[in-house]
Amino acid sequence: MIQDRTFGNRLFDTVNAAVLILVALCTVLPFVYVLAVSFTDPHEVAKGGMILFPTKFSLAAYEYIFSTDTLVKSLGVSIYVTVVGTFINLLFTSLLAYPLAKPHFRGRQVILLGVLFTMLFSGGMIPSYFVVKELGMTNTLWSLMIPSAISAFNLIVLRNFFQQIPDGLEDSAKIDGCSDLDILFRIVLPLSLPAMATFGLFYAVAHWNTFFSAILYINDHNKWPVQVLLREIVILAQSRIGETSFEESLIQPLTIRMAVIVFATVPILLVYPFLQKHFAKGVLLGSVKG
Amino acid sequence: MKRKKKSKRWIAGMCAAVMTTGVLAGCGGESGEATPEAAAGDAGSSAPFRITLATAQVGDVPAADNEVEKAIESYTNTQLDIQWIPSAAYDEKVNVMVAADEMPMMLRVKYVPTTISSIQSDLFWEVGPLLGDYKNLSALNKQYYENISVDGKIYGIPQFRDIARSAVIYREDWLKKLGMKPPVTVDEWYNVLKAMTLNDPDGNGKNDTYGMVLGKKYNEGVSAMTTRMAVALGAPNKWAVDSAGKFTPEFVTPEFNEILKLFRKLFAEKLINQDFAAFEDADAEKMYDSGRVGIRIAVAQNAKSMQDRLSKTVPEGIYDVMPPTGPKGVRAAGESGNNGFFVFPKSKVKNEAELKKLLAFADKMLDEPMATLQLRGVEGKHYTKVDGGKTEFKDFSAFQREVKPYRDSLFNVEGFNVAPLKDTPLGEKGTKIPPENLKTAVLNPALNLTSATYSERGKELEQMMYDAQTKYIMGKIDDAGLLAEIEKWRKAGGDQVAKEYEAAYAKLKK
Repeated sequence: MIQDRTFGNRLFDTVNAAVLILVALCTVLPFVYVLAVSFTDPHEVAKGGMILFPTKFSLAAYEYIFSTDTLVKSLGVSIYVTVVGTFINLLFTSLLAYPLAKPHFRGRQVILLGVLFTMLFSGGMIPSYFVVKELGMTNTLWSLMIPSAISAFNLIVLRNFFQQIPDGLEDSAKIDGCSDLDILFRIVLPLSLPAMATFGLFYAVAHWNTFFSAILYINDHNKWPVQVLLREIVILAQSRIGETSFEESLIQPLTIRMAVIVFATVPILLVYPFLQKHFAKGVLLGSVKG
Repeated sequence: MKRKKKSKRWIAGMCAAVMTTGVLAGCGGESGEATPEAAAGDAGSSAPFRITLATAQVGDVPAADNEVEKAIESYTNTQLDIQWIPSAAYDEKVNVMVAADEMPMMLRVKYVPTTISSIQSDLFWEVGPLLGDYKNLSALNKQYYENISVDGKIYGIPQFRDIARSAVIYREDWLKKLGMKPPVTVDEWYNVLKAMTLNDPDGNGKNDTYGMVLGKKYNEGVSAMTTRMAVALGAPNKWAVDSAGKFTPEFVTPEFNEILKLFRKLFAEKLINQDFAAFEDADAEKMYDSGRVGIRIAVAQNAKSMQDRLSKTVPEGIYDVMPPTGPKGVRAAGESGNNGFFVFPKSKVKNEAELKKLLAFADKMLDEPMATLQLRGVEGKHYTKVDGGKTEFKDFSAFQREVKPYRDSLFNVEGFNVAPLKDTPLGEKGTKIPPENLKTAVLNPALNLTSATYSERGKELEQMMYDAQTKYIMGKIDDAGLLAEIEKWRKAGGDQVAKEYEAAYAKLKK
C-alpha cells in the first residue's frame, strides 16, 4: 500500500517535473533564440545556418543600433518614466487605498463606487486626449505618468491588504501621538513592503511597456520611450512584403530587430531578481495570514 | 532600529526622485509650449516661411538641422518643422489630431473613410483649381490627383508613387534549367509552378522548393497577389464597370475564378505551402531570400533588392523581372499612386495666400535640384555623376538613413526632373517597368468613389470574401459553397456598396 503510494508519488513527481521543464523551455527558448540571433552574423541568419546558438559571432546588429543615440536616449526616457512613474503610482495608490480601508472614513463607499465605475467604463481615446491636453500635459512626460497614476484594480487589492493590518497597532500609535499621515508612512507602509514591492513591479512593468499613450500624447521624438522605437522597427520589418507604402523599404535584418528586442527587454528583466524576495513574501502573506 | 534606518533611506530616495521630477518637468514644459503655431510669413518676402507638417516616420527620425533638411530649407526659403509620427499608430494619432484641432499646416492623411468624411465636412482647403498655376504639379499625370479626389474635387497633394508597379519576379536560372518560359496563360502558370516544385530546380537532390509561396495576406488590400495576377490574366481590378455604369466585384468574374481554381488545384496537389492561411509574410520573404521559391508577384523595383539578398545565400541564383503579362498582353493593376497625401487644414492655414505658399513649396520640391536631393541625396556624399548624364549611388546605406525619410515623406517622382540612375541591368529594368505598365494599366474604377456602406462596414465585407477565398483554395468549400458565400456577401451589404458606387460614378460622369 505504502509502496503503491510512493510509486504513484514518484510517477506524479516525474510527470510534474517533465511538464514544468517543458513549460519552462517554452518560455526560455524564445529568449535564447532572440539573444542568439542578435549576436549572429546577419548573413548566417539569412542562410538559416543557426538554430539556437550563434554559429558566427558578430556585434554588427548592436553596432548598428548604437550608431545613433536615438535608442540610448529613448532608454533614458523609459527609465525615467518607470522610476518616477512607479513612485507616483505607489504614493497615490496608497494615499487613496489607506483611507478607503478605514471604516471610520466617511463617504468611502461613494469613493469606492467611483473607483469601481472607472474599471467598467472609460471615456475613450479622444475624450482622454482632451483631458490631457487641457491639463497642459501633451508633449510632456507627465502625460505618461499622471493619467495612469492609480490603477483601480491595484487600488482595491491594496485596500484589502491594508484592511488586514490590525487596528490595535494604529490605535497604540495614535496614543503615542502619531498623526494619520505618520501612521501611514511610518507604520503601515513599512509593514506593507512586500505589497509595495509587488505593486511596484506591476506598475513598473506597465510603465516600461508604455507605447500607445506615448504615441498619442508625445509629438517630440526625443521623448519617445523605447517601446515606440521597438514597435516601429519590428512593424516596419513585417510590412515589407505588403509593400503598400515603400518600394524598397528600409531593410531591418532580423538580427537588428532581435538586438532591439534584447535592448528593450533586458533592463526591466534586471529588476525582477531584486524584487524576487519581496514578491515571494507578498504572495505568502496573502495566503498564510491567520 | 534597523527598520527605521531603512525607512530613512527610503525617504531620501523619495526626495531625490521628487527633485529630479521637478527638474525634468521644467524642461518638458518649455518645449511643450512650442506647439506648432502658424507663423505669419509676411514679415518681408525674404524671411523664411515657417511650415509645420506631420507625416509618417520612416526609419530613424533625422536630427533637426541635418544637411538634407537645411538644403531643402534654403532652396525653398522655408523653415521646416516636421513632426514624425510612428507608423505603428499613425491613423489613431491623426484621428486625435483632427478631433482636437491640433493639426499642422500640412497633414499627411490616407484615402480612407475617416479622411473622406473630414474632407466632406469642409475641414481642408480645396486645391484643385489652383494646381494649374504650378508648373511641376500640373505637369504630372492627372491620374495621381483623380485618385485622391473626393466628390470630384481635389483636396491635397499626393506623396507620389508609381501607379502601376506590379511585376512578376522569377528565377531565371531555374526556368533555364527546366527549359521553360515565364508563364503567361493559366496553364503555363500551373506547369511552371509544378515543375519548380517537383523537378528539383536547385539541383540539390531534395524536394525542398516551391514555385510560389503565399503569405496570409495574399488576397488582401491594394497589393493583393490574387488581384495582381488575375488582372494580368484578364480580370478587372477589384471592380468592373460596364458601359451602362453597372459595377461588379472582381470575384464574380470568370478570369478571377480561374486564379482561385488554379490555387485550389495547386493546394490539393501540395504545390504551394499548405499553411499559407497562417503563414507570416516575413517568413515567406525569408524563403525567397534563401533561394527556395521560384516566382513572386511583387513590385518591379524590388527585383534588385531581392537579387541582392539572394546573392548572399545562393551566389549563383539569378532573378529576372517581367511586367504582369497575360494572353491579352501587359496588364498591370493600377494602384492609388500615392502613399497618402497632404491636406491643408483651414484652421491652421489662414488664407489663400498662405495656401499658395505651401503649394509653391510642394512645387519647388519637384524642381530639378530638389528632386535630385530627395531621390539621390547630396552629390559626392550619397551619389556621384557618371558618364552619359547618369547618376550612381556612392553610399546607399547612408542614403537610406539620411535621405530616405525625406524622399518617402515629401514630393518627388522617380524619372521626373532627375537624372537616371546607373544601376545593375536588373535594377534599371525594374525602374523602367512601372512607367511602361501605366500605358495599359487597368485602373480600379471605384478608387475615388465614396460609398456610405463601404465606409461603415467595408472592412467586414472584404474579410468575408477573403475568408471564403481561403476556404475555397483549401478545399473546404466547393464552387457551390463559394457561390453561396458570394450570395451572403451580396445580402450583407455587397450589393449596396455596388449600388452606391454606381450612383457616385453616375454623378461624377455627368
